[in-house]
Amino acid sequence: MHIHQYEKLWLGLSLLLIVGFVATVTYGAVGTPAISMIGDDGDTLNPNAIDDHPEFGDPGVEKVGESEYAAYVVARQFMFQPDPIVVPANTTVTFYVTSADVIHGFSVVGTNANTMVIPGEVAELTVEINDPGEYGIVCHEYCGNGHHGMEGLLKVVPADEYDGGDAE
Amino acid sequence: MSTGSGAATFVDRYPEEASIVRQAFFVAFVAFGLGALFGVIQALHRTDILRFIPSTDYYTVLTAHGVLLVIVFTIFFLVGLFQWAITRSFDRPVEDIRITKAWLALMSVGSVVTGVTILLGFVDEVGISADVLFTFYAPLQAHPLFYAGLAVFLVGTWIAGADWFRSWLAWNAEHPDDRIPLQAFVVLTTMLMWYIATIGVAVAVLFFLLPWSLGLIETVNPLLTRTLFWFFGHPVVYFWLMPAYLLWYTVLPKIAGGRLFSDPLARVVFVLFLLLSTPVGIHHQYLDPGIAESFKFIAMTNTMFLLLPSLLTAFTVVASVEHGARQRGGTGLFGWLRALPWRDPAFTGMMLAGLMFAAGGFSGMINAGMNINYLVHNTLWVPGHFHLTVGTAVALTMMAGTYWLWPQLTNRRLYSRPIGLLQVVVWFGGMALMSNAMHVSGLYGIPRRTAEPQYQGFDFSTAFGSVAELNVQLAIGGTLLFVSALLFLANLAFSWGNPTTSGLGQTLPPALSGPDDSPRVLDNMRLWAAIALVLVALAYALPLGAIVADSGLFGPGGDAYPVTVVLNSVAVTAERLTASVGATLADVGGVLEVIR
Amino acid sequence: MNEGMVSADDGATHGDLERSVSAPPDQADVDRTLSHEEFDPKGTLALILVYFAILVGMWVFMYFVEFLGNGLTVVG
Ligand code: HEM
Ligand SMILES: [Cu+2]
Ligand SMILES: [Cu+2]
Repeated sequence: MHIHQYEKLWLGLSLLLIVGFVATVTYGAVGTPAISMIGDDGDTLNPNAIDDHPEFGDPGVEKVGESEYAAYVVARQFMFQPDPIVVPANTTVTFYVTSADVIHGFSVVGTNANTMVIPGEVAELTVEINDPGEYGIVCHEYCGNGHHGMEGLLKVVPADEYDGGDAE
Repeated sequence: MSTGSGAATFVDRYPEEASIVRQAFFVAFVAFGLGALFGVIQALHRTDILRFIPSTDYYTVLTAHGVLLVIVFTIFFLVGLFQWAITRSFDRPVEDIRITKAWLALMSVGSVVTGVTILLGFVDEVGISADVLFTFYAPLQAHPLFYAGLAVFLVGTWIAGADWFRSWLAWNAEHPDDRIPLQAFVVLTTMLMWYIATIGVAVAVLFFLLPWSLGLIETVNPLLTRTLFWFFGHPVVYFWLMPAYLLWYTVLPKIAGGRLFSDPLARVVFVLFLLLSTPVGIHHQYLDPGIAESFKFIAMTNTMFLLLPSLLTAFTVVASVEHGARQRGGTGLFGWLRALPWRDPAFTGMMLAGLMFAAGGFSGMINAGMNINYLVHNTLWVPGHFHLTVGTAVALTMMAGTYWLWPQLTNRRLYSRPIGLLQVVVWFGGMALMSNAMHVSGLYGIPRRTAEPQYQGFDFSTAFGSVAELNVQLAIGGTLLFVSALLFLANLAFSWGNPTTSGLGQTLPPALSGPDDSPRVLDNMRLWAAIALVLVALAYALPLGAIVADSGLFGPGGDAYPVTVVLNSVAVTAERLTASVGATLADVGGVLEVIR
Repeated sequence: MNEGMVSADDGATHGDLERSVSAPPDQADVDRTLSHEEFDPKGTLALILVYFAILVGMWVFMYFVEFLGNGLTVVG
């Protein structure tokens, strides 16, 4: 098969580009901090039985370690519970997000914290939250004709102002 | 009747086949016109520039826009173009025109049923709706006719593929030692890919969603049906793209005054698409819970390698155009660009489409980058990306290709070349604005698929410019696109009034480096199909197995959420629906009568 | 700009007749014919190298500045 010199050069460069992309993504996954993907570690559960679930039955934020918090969030047509989600600054927060009905999205606006929310699955994502402030939360997957109203708030308060409980 | 200077046209030689192509294009362009109308409504509505429908109807509009454009428009154009390509390149009529008519009819009936079911979403009294968007994720549930129409449409495309394979076998019996002509090669590899890809959506629709919407099964597994959708959802983007590639590889060099640079490399490219298009679908699910990170990583590497055939295409196609420019007397490292027929709308349209594809390729690389997907997932960046790819690389190439094909299919000249040129340039300009605004908005976190991305509790913060400016840019871009679509349709409609002319025929020149420079194994369809199936099995067996093992074929429970809010009397509903489907079919039939 | 060249093949000088036919009727009116051996697509190579440079530059910018510079990295 006859291939022109320039084509061979371009083939080589293309492969280099591809390997370069894969290498960058791998670097992101193993560098510091190592970016982890939403995976399959979360439990599965029956969306109709959410109200009886030990955590999702009364969604909210819990302290689980020295400076570690777990935020249980339920997405349902057309709101997030709890709203707002209140966490102290300078902590590591793991969000456990599930849906009571259809597929939703959960995205902390202007950040990389972003996941799909699928009924039956629990999305698990851990982030380090430093400065106090407020972030919007949007549902970014179409979930019915009230989808555009589905939003929430994440409040990061200074540690000394945090009252330690569900903010519902 | 005046005479031109060229040879016999396609319609002179194959009148029946030309009629099929025209009918397929007709359906495609009707869908295109409606889709463009819905597009501009969306562009004005979500930016809050002009809202004349209730926001709850936005999702009816969006479902119709998605389905009409990426299922009906693209695929009807594809079957028309492929029928032309098969007949032309094998130089033989279809084996049995009744079969050809049958698949076109099936596809049309399926599209009308699905389309009408979607549009009935505007009429609340009817109680029928399919506002599930073109991805129809369960447990949102559409009316059963939505899924049924899709299934009928799919069966139509399968028969179309079989029809073309049959032509190949018949041709092969008479030409056992010949290489498959390139155009036919594109059609055959693309259809093999389609057969593999549609396994996913066919299983999702026939085994789960349709029976579930009919109440035959209680529950479905939302992650499973979603994964099956994306099993199909990525290769379908290459399915849309292949007609554009067919035109870029076989028609564009000719229009540029040159010849295809390398036929062997073209074959390698299409084989790579067949092999790699399907085992990558999980890249649409990077942020899905319930799928292990390792599977996502594998999908990412496969996806990156799938860049290769498109990167190779960029070289081959540009080199073929450069060949044309040099033959036309062009000189210099970049000066040859000026020797090209820029006043020809078919040429300029395809070149601008290719340029936008280069840009869309870049945003696609970002989408594909697994962890960087956190940044853009489900933001407006994503529609920004695919309006460059399917919305321009494909759609604009189809329009430009139509300018060239039109006289071949009708023996009539195009109404106006200058209007055609204006049309492709306006599309390019409109898309540059709309897509740029979408990409940037996406980086600021503005979500896609929403009627009102204006929230109560917070504002989007921007690094430069403001959300209001981006909205204006998006709306102007969308309006220009709509104007361009109207220009295209009007130009074609007026062309129908031109007198017929003989001798408008065009021939396509052979490649510079022809098929004989490549190994014969490239033409071994069985081999490539087998390897493609193995790769798909490797990529999907474990993830699908894990999903089923975790929560079962029918999921962990949960209700269905029909998008139809009021279901009054089933009988009344069915009656009204049959009436409107019947009326639409009658209209379509009437117009088709004229077109042929 | 090579005006004569462009319009000759552009159909314009064929007058009204060719106004609406896309592409020249045949390839007889090319300046010269170039075979595969005679033709080195160096313009294509130049263009595609520019594209390569843009891709690499934009990728680095998007990944390291826009993405890694963004808040709330998902670490688990
Ligand atoms: C007049 C030209 C067009 C305009 C003004 C337009 C406008 C838009 C807008 C504003 C959206 C985003 C809606 C949202 O996410 O809220 C959208 C979505 C979309 N467009 Fe277009 N578009 C046009 C042409 C096209 C073409 C030619 C195609 C493909 C061939 C296309 C395919 C799509 C698809 C697949 C979606 C996504 C639908 C979904 O999210 O379910 N569009 N369009
Ligand atoms: Cu939503
Ligand atoms: Cu994809």
